[in-house]
Order: sequence, then C-alpha cells, then structure tokens
Amino acid sequence: MCDDHCALNVYMEEGRVVDIDGYKEHPWNRGRLCSKGRAAVDLVYHPDRLWKPLKRTASGWQEIPLEQALDEIAERLRGIQKRYGERSIGVWKGEAVGFAQQEEMARRFVHAIGSPNYFSNDSMCFNGRWIGYTVVHGAWSVPDYEHTRLVLLWGANPPHAHPNMTQMIMRARRRGAKLVVLDPRLSAVARQADLHAPVRPGTDGALVWGLIRALLERGAYDRELVENHSVGFPALEAYARAFTPEVVERETGVPAALLGEIAAALAKAAPAVVNYVGNGLEHHENGINNIRAIAYLDTLLGALDREGGNRLAEGFPTRRLTLYQERPLTELGPIGAERFPVLYGLRQECHTMTAMDTILSDRPYPLKALLLTGANPAMTNPNTEKVRRALAALELLVVRDLFLTETAQLAHYVLPAASFLERSELHVHAMFQVVTLTKKPLSFPGVQDEYQFWHDLARRLGAGEFFPWKDEEELTRWLLEPTGVTLEQLAGHPEGYPYRSIRYEKWREAPLHTPSGKVEFTSQYLKGLGYPELAEYKPPSYQSSPDPAYPFVLVTGARKLLFYHSRFQNIERFARTGRNPEMEMHPADAARLALADGERVRVRSRVGAIELPVTVTAPNEILPGTLQITHGYRQANVNLLTHDDVFDPISGFPLMKAIQVQVESLRRPATPPDTTP
Amino acid sequence: MRIVTMDPEICVACRNCEYACAFKQAGTFERRDSNIRVSFYPQERVCIPGTCVHCEEPWCLEVCPAAAIGRNPETGAVEIDPDRCAGCKMCMLACPYGAIRFDAKARVARKCDLCGGDPQCVKFCISGALQFVEAEEAFAFRRTSLDAKLTDLLGLAKGGRR
Repeated sequence: MCDDHCALNVYMEEGRVVDIDGYKEHPWNRGRLCSKGRAAVDLVYHPDRLWKPLKRTASGWQEIPLEQALDEIAERLRGIQKRYGERSIGVWKGEAVGFAQQEEMARRFVHAIGSPNYFSNDSMCFNGRWIGYTVVHGAWSVPDYEHTRLVLLWGANPPHAHPNMTQMIMRARRRGAKLVVLDPRLSAVARQADLHAPVRPGTDGALVWGLIRALLERGAYDRELVENHSVGFPALEAYARAFTPEVVERETGVPAALLGEIAAALAKAAPAVVNYVGNGLEHHENGINNIRAIAYLDTLLGALDREGGNRLAEGFPTRRLTLYQERPLTELGPIGAERFPVLYGLRQECHTMTAMDTILSDRPYPLKALLLTGANPAMTNPNTEKVRRALAALELLVVRDLFLTETAQLAHYVLPAASFLERSELHVHAMFQVVTLTKKPLSFPGVQDEYQFWHDLARRLGAGEFFPWKDEEELTRWLLEPTGVTLEQLAGHPEGYPYRSIRYEKWREAPLHTPSGKVEFTSQYLKGLGYPELAEYKPPSYQSSPDPAYPFVLVTGARKLLFYHSRFQNIERFARTGRNPEMEMHPADAARLALADGERVRVRSRVGAIELPVTVTAPNEILPGTLQITHGYRQANVNLLTHDDVFDPISGFPLMKAIQVQVESLRRPATPPDTTP
Repeated sequence: MRIVTMDPEICVACRNCEYACAFKQAGTFERRDSNIRVSFYPQERVCIPGTCVHCEEPWCLEVCPAAAIGRNPETGAVEIDPDRCAGCKMCMLACPYGAIRFDAKARVARKCDLCGGDPQCVKFCISGALQFVEAEEAFAFRRTSLDAKLTDLLGLAKGGRR
C-alpha cells in the first residue's frame, strides 16, 4: 500500500479485516506503524470501491462481466496493433497496486505483446536519485542508521514520507548521533535537528560544493578511497575552489557560519555519516547533478560502504521477469529513449511527459492505447490539463484501480484491482538484507490480482507462452528457484528471512558497478552523451532569470502523513484531520499581501491557476518568498500549475519544486469605512 | 506496573499517537477524541507529548465525588467509569498535567486507560518518543544519551577509535 513495506498484524473477524497494527518481531518496523497502515481497514471495504468492470457507453458507465471485458479489450488491442503496429500500445504501472513483483509483470507483458513502451510514476520519482548515485558509485546505497554518528538529510522528511525511518534516526540520536537537515521548510524531522539549514529550493548543488570545498580545505577526506578507488579527483578539486562560504551564502541563503558548522560536524563524524537524499532534490532543472555532487560526499567522507555510513546493499537474487535479454525491442524506439537516454539506458523507463506529446502529435509514431494499472496521472503527472487532453485522445484507455479515480473517469474500460491484502508477494528489505513473504488474508470474486490479469490478457493476445504459471504462487516459486530459498521456508519466517549477512567495504574485493569499476567523480558515460562529466552546479531559473510577473517560488509535493500522493484523500476520517488542501506561506509574505491564515487565494503559474486556502506558518517554518502545496487533492490540484516541458536534462524529471508563481487574494475588498459624522 | 513514557527530544509532533488514540477511543482520527496530546512550538522547535502517568496518589481519583475513578487491578491504570461519571470536571482541575479531557458528546470526563495494557499510542509512535515500560525503568532514556557520550570519551581515553 505504501513503499515503506512495514510488517503488519491483520486482525480478522468472520472473514473480515477489523484492525491492523505493527508486527513486533520484524526488524524493519519493530511493531511500530503509521496510521496509513491501519486505514487499510477503510480502504478495503470503502463504499466507493470498484467490484465490477465498467464499460463506457453513450449513456454512461455500464457494468459488464470480467470475461467479456477482457475479450473486448483484447479485440480492440488487436485492432490497434493491426492498424498502427505493436508499439502503439503502452503499459503504465502505478503505485496503487504495489511495489514488489507488480512492476516486472507489467514490463514483461508489454514486451511480450511486442511493444517497448513501459511507463510508470518512476519517470518522476525515485529514478532521479537512483541515477544520481548509480552514476557515481554504481548503486543507490542504503543508510546504516544503526551505527551512524551523523545523519545528513537533503530534502527528505522521513516522518511523513518514510515514517519508519524516523525511529531509526531517533535511535541513532539517543546513542549520540547528530542530525543535520537541509530543507527550505522546517519539516517534521527538522524539529529535532541539531542543525537545520533552510536552503533555497534547487540550490543544494551549491551547498554541497561548498561542503566539498570546506572538507578539502581541512584535508578531511578519505585518502585511501580517493587515491585507490576513484577517478576524476583533480577535476573535483579544481571545480570546488569557486564555492567559497560567501558564494554559497549568496546562492543558497545558508549563512557562511552555518556551512562551516556543518562541515566541521561531518569531518568529526566521518566515516560514520549517513548521507540521504529525498525526493525534494529530484524535481529540479539541475537535480541529477546536485544529487551526484551529494553522492561524492560518501567517498570523500569515507562513508561509502562503511559501518554507520551509506552501505552498498546486496540484493536477493531472484529470477527476473523482464524480457530485456530475450526481447529488448529497442529498435522500435521506446518513447523518450532518444530524448532521455540515461533514463532509458539505466532504468529501461519510458518518459511519461513525452508520451503525452506523442499521443497528441502522433510523433515519432502513433501511441493509441494505454493500459494503466494503479496509476492516476490525471492527478499526479505535471500539467494536468494536457494530461487529460492526451488521455482523452487515446483510441483505447483501460484503467485498473480500486476506485474510479480522475484517470479512470477518462477510460473506455475500468477494471477492479486487488489491494495489497488480496495477494501474496515478496518484500525485500535491503537495509537488513531480509526477505519476507506476505500472506493473502482476503480475496473477492471478480477482483483479479496483478498476475491473473496480465496472464489472462496475454493469453487472449497470443502471448500466453510468456505467462505459463498457473497463479501467483507458482510464479513466486519460479522466481525463488535460483535463491535456494523455498516458499515454505519464507512462510516460516514472518520476521524476515536473512538472505545474506551484512558486509562492509566490499569495494576492497570487487570493482564497483560503474564503467571504470571505481567511484566516478567524472563520468565518461555522461560525457559521451553530451553532458558535463563533472556534477556541475547550475542555479535554478527563478534565481538566474527571475520573471517579475511571478515573484514567488512554489515547492510542490511535500508529503503529509495520512496521504500517499493522490490516494487516501477519499478516506473520510482522514480528510477531517486538518486543512486539506492548503498552501504554506511565510508570515512576512502574508502580511505584505494582507492575507490572514485560512483565507482563500488564487495561485497562478505560466501553466495554469488554482484556488485554495493559505496557511500562514511560523517565521522559521518556510523561507520567505517560498510557498508549498501538497499534491493529490481534486479540490485544488497543484499539477494544474506544474511544468511538463522544463526538465532535468539527464533524468528527464519535470520541474515541480521551484515553480515561479504569483498569488492574489480572493477576498472581496472591504467596503470603505463610513466616515460621515 | 508499566506506564507510557514520553521523550520530548525524540518526538517530531507527527501526531500519529493522537490518531491512534482517537481511533481506539472513538473510531476517528480527530485530535479532540484523543487522550494523548502533542504540543508543538515551532519557533522554539519544541515537541511535547503528554498523557496520564497514572499517579500513585491520583488527585483526580481523590477529588471525584461520584467515585467514578478507580485503579484497574490488572494494568494499574487509573480509569474513569463513564457510567458513574457525573461530568463535574473536577478531575480535570485536579490533574496537574492537564491529562484529562471532557467529551462534550457523551458529557463525561475521559482519560488514558492504557488500552487495557496494550497502549495504541506507543504502537503507532513512529519516532520511538513513546515507550511502554515498567515504572522502575521509566525515563531510562535520560541515561542512554549520557552513557553514549561517556562511553565515547572513556573509550577514547583507553585508546579506542572513534
């Protein structure tokens, strides 16, 4: 249900789930749980949940039997394949149907029917950080909170985004570790920070280069790692020189003295430093290079794969369901692969923003059908107005979901999808190197799990040979074969099966998974694609070329504890907990616009406008001139304001966290006071 | 007996404890239905969770004219019997920590009952600021940080490495 993968107790009465809490024996969450997990009780039996397939007709939605729906969808897909070719069909996996095997099933299906076009929310989440870290040291490392002496968080707010990390960070603090939070907002985790540096959105690159300069100046870097296990150090040293504390202060707003304090704390705690980047860094014009430069810190501090630092996790070696070896299909031109070769080259991820342009223009070739499972781009992708126009222009849109989402409302067919309690799947916790098999406490007639759906549709399209397993259990057995671990063994370890003991400093024994086998301060791979070889800093355009008509900088997408992107807003007892939606604003800005807390405003960007109430924060809770709106609310969908044509050039991630906007009050001017005597 | 301890140096005021308590008490996620409250003072960056510590000599119990407040023999929790409560609110005045609230719908006083020995606020506390521990061990975390610092320093003095 969310990407934190907490271990749960599910309490049943007469076949019905009545309550959920945390399972104590699992090392991941140790029995603690956030309220989203418990709300699955409301989710599963929600009165608006879909139980029957729906077909759009001239007179509205019509309920039809599942077999008929699959037959009709298959027939229409065959027609589209015949008219426009196999690649005119795309599959899009969202998060409402899970984070485990569901992704590879969708990837397998689309290649099995001859199209390379797999899409997901990952062309605007997660992959940016994965790419940034992987280019530098071959993997996105995991934090070793249990042994750390300092936790450095960049644009990450675990209490709301990865709740379970909070207890790990706080246990480290109890043992004496320091907490440093870099964020334009005083986020929940920043409330307990030893140092909080409110950095202007998108300028983190300048800040980290300032830290690199300060560490080099003190000679506080790991000579063994740098000399024997890295490439490009001279270039890094030369580039860092320009980032004096004064330059950094001017660029980021972080006082020079605070920068010095952070550098000193890092040098003292090294190598046991957890250096963690959140989603806040991804949605910027220079996002990947900012993240790459942050990843450099791991090596300089000696934290790379060291106890208490950022560990290179070893995965659970299951079989892969993807067909990239057997049927790469790259000659068919996966959408976005040419424009963003790193996103496709490293992640085999097509680019959803380019998909909208493709649908609307038929260029470079027609994209005529999309099968979406658990995805709601009409709410979560940037530039909603265009997304809606594009999805409505498809010849066939099929949406599987638990609810009739904003996206499902545009579909030709809507199919009911299973929740996480209606399937059994493998969860790998790389931080602890344990694997856990979930139980399947519920099933509802006519509601297919992911495997059954792809299996049944593939069979109808002549691709049944790729889905030979009878059901998800048989599939899981096949996945497990090379691991030497059986389904029965996993079932006997609800506390997680340790698949490999944890080791450090693996770079001593084997080369890293980079082209050179070393830490790459400079990347020939990126240089070859026309990008700078070093993670250079570029200021965000609101700073380098501000538009006076749009004087505020809007950050979107800060998480709220009870909501997960566009999900759970329909849980009524959640919606009643506070002001939802809201726009956060500094009190000085509110005073200038004569706005009181709770007043409604209109926010306008170059893309569009929305109306919502303003929340006036305390003076230290957000930077002056900066605003924040959380996404996912149909009453005020912030993606009506976000850009789908300004990208990070390496990852193709859209600009969503430094948008130039204007704000106007919606209050009617007060009647002039009566001045008659 | 075991009590719920609160650490203001760990709490991030995420309010999960309030949600969990309200869910158990009233089936909602609303603050006013919760027997635990978290205060957050942004400018000072201070988060203070507060709930009943089940005093050995509970003033609320002593002041109650309806004898509605008693101690649960199994859990040791000081509990209010809503059927006996007259709604006079004197227990709220008596409690020095403000840990008793008035339920305007049922017109009775409400307070923490340790959920019968399995306090939901602790299970849903994602930071670890709330712990359910034996009273003898209460607030032991105060020593943990000091111990960590001393271990570090004494270890160094003995030639250990940071």
